[in-house]
Amino acid sequence: MSGRFPPMDHAKNAAEFTADSERAHWHDRALWFVRQKRDRAAKSVPEWESLREAAETIKMHTMEHLGFYLERFESQARRNGIEVLWAADAEEFRHIVAEILREHGAEKVVKSKSMLTEECGLNPHLESLGIEVTDTDLGERIVQLAGDHPSHIVLPAIHMKKEDVADIFSKYLHTDPDNADPFYLTRAARDHLREKFLDADAAITGINFALAEEGGFVVCTNEGNADLGTALPNLHIACMGLEKIIPSAQDLGIFTRLLARSATGQAITTYTSHFLKPKPGGRLYVIIVDNGRSRLLNTRHNKALSCIRCGACMNTCPVYRRSGGHSYGYVIPGPIGSVLAGAREIERFASLPFACSLCASCDNVCPVRIDLHAQLYRERRAAINVPSYGEKRRLLHLAAWVMQRPKLYGVLMKTVRFVLPLLPRALVYNRFNVWGREREVPEPAKRSFSEIYRERR
Amino acid sequence: MNAKERILHALGRRDVPKELPAFDIGPMRFSDVGAAFSEALEAAGGETVESRETSAETIAGHFVFEGRIVDTRESVTSTTNDRNIGLLIVEAEFGVAENGAVWIDPKERYPREVLTLAENLAVVLKREAIVPTMHEAYERIDFAEISYALFMAGPSKTADIEQALVIGAHGAIGMKVFLEGEG
Repeated sequence: MSGRFPPMDHAKNAAEFTADSERAHWHDRALWFVRQKRDRAAKSVPEWESLREAAETIKMHTMEHLGFYLERFESQARRNGIEVLWAADAEEFRHIVAEILREHGAEKVVKSKSMLTEECGLNPHLESLGIEVTDTDLGERIVQLAGDHPSHIVLPAIHMKKEDVADIFSKYLHTDPDNADPFYLTRAARDHLREKFLDADAAITGINFALAEEGGFVVCTNEGNADLGTALPNLHIACMGLEKIIPSAQDLGIFTRLLARSATGQAITTYTSHFLKPKPGGRLYVIIVDNGRSRLLNTRHNKALSCIRCGACMNTCPVYRRSGGHSYGYVIPGPIGSVLAGAREIERFASLPFACSLCASCDNVCPVRIDLHAQLYRERRAAINVPSYGEKRRLLHLAAWVMQRPKLYGVLMKTVRFVLPLLPRALVYNRFNVWGREREVPEPAKRSFSEIYRERR
Repeated sequence: MNAKERILHALGRRDVPKELPAFDIGPMRFSDVGAAFSEALEAAGGETVESRETSAETIAGHFVFEGRIVDTRESVTSTTNDRNIGLLIVEAEFGVAENGAVWIDPKERYPREVLTLAENLAVVLKREAIVPTMHEAYERIDFAEISYALFMAGPSKTADIEQALVIGAHGAIGMKVFLEGEG
């Protein structure tokens, strides 16, 4: 993919988001509220840290033996009557889904949340083939109708205000454009989507956990859209990134206790649904997708594959909360998105490892203990070597060269201390002074530390 | 090579892993699992009803609804695309104190879709069938016997519009658990 897209500039995108200061503040507060709910939920479980450690161990173990567990899953799922297909990349995945739908003559599809289908551009592909795809998660339906993309993996429409939703719904669902009451709008969506459910030929879902030993999988939602969507039509296609596998259902005790508490502060999602066999008379497919994941496995970013997509790292991130999910320019935003995007395509996403204060709050809330901030720190070394960082890189090399020469450094700093206060403002605060864009440059001290030290020792 | 072979090749080793050691989680305990269950279910937007008697009429008296009652404890005819279930009564095999979830397995005795098509859901649960946490819950499930089954904690809900919680997304709008047995 490298080179197909221009480099993505997080700072520029973030500036666009913060231009609406009121909205940016609302976004920040709303996500901090979710983070606080997560904290209360985590603290209510005395064994929380043991759970995190166990989850980390299980995930690391599974990643080491992915080949074994995926094959085990395939053979066990087949015994249950589930058809298992493999897709090496996004194109293959889109092709397989389209073929299955064509074989069954399915023209109307209801889809529950799956970041994988977003990653692989499934909707536009199916729509180009004349298939109607309806996202049924409320947040995803809102962004779909708006012609937008999710800005958060758990709260897809968190960047939108209720007035935006009222506006969009009035166009497509013929609601009252002046009524922005969330209850009213949610009920309208329920009625609208109920018709879509009843009318669908096929359901597509994601997978939260695939069980190697039992050959089944778990889907977690609060809205019940995956359950209703898959129960009605006779065709269910479930899509999973290959890292979604866990050894057995016994591990679910650990993961279901961590997932919702980390995501929204709920003790468990409303629906935690286990799919083991097709419904009577129905067909059930699972598609296992690689799309760059196996490549990640053999890098120092392999731990990022442990992610269970709770979104806690986003809610806690001081940069994400203030810059919005779209500023990352990648399907998964926030700390985990920055790691994944950078590991995939550093030339395009070189600005993302710098969209981080290295505060490590993400590490502390991550239910599977991914060392996110350390990964981002390491990613900076790769990022600084991409062409778009040429200017910055040369300046840093120059700074390093000067700092290795104490005498020269001393003379230069002395000059700066003398000259800086005499310079007109326009000369100091120009486009090269990135630091001074939002801040005042501190007043230089009269004498340097070295001078004072020499005098007093 | 086909896609499967390419992926497995890229993943490398395929030897049988050593089994993971059992984790010493030391899960939380409750002095009164019934009370903990009720509290957790309430937090999830549901409600518990202490009930000696769980006839369909008694249960229906606890809900305000239109449409018909489907009691899955009796035989259920196919209800696919049924838009008119006001109240669905199901049995849960057990409940979980830490989160108020109940384990519902339709076992092909009634179609899956009625669970989400129904406006209101009444769940009948034996009081002694409440386990403390999800660890004990998963120990009770025999996955070889399951086609589709779920943990359900409260009515369906969403907060996708400005983080405002709205009860009643795509599934049940009301959900109550009727606890049978001595308190």
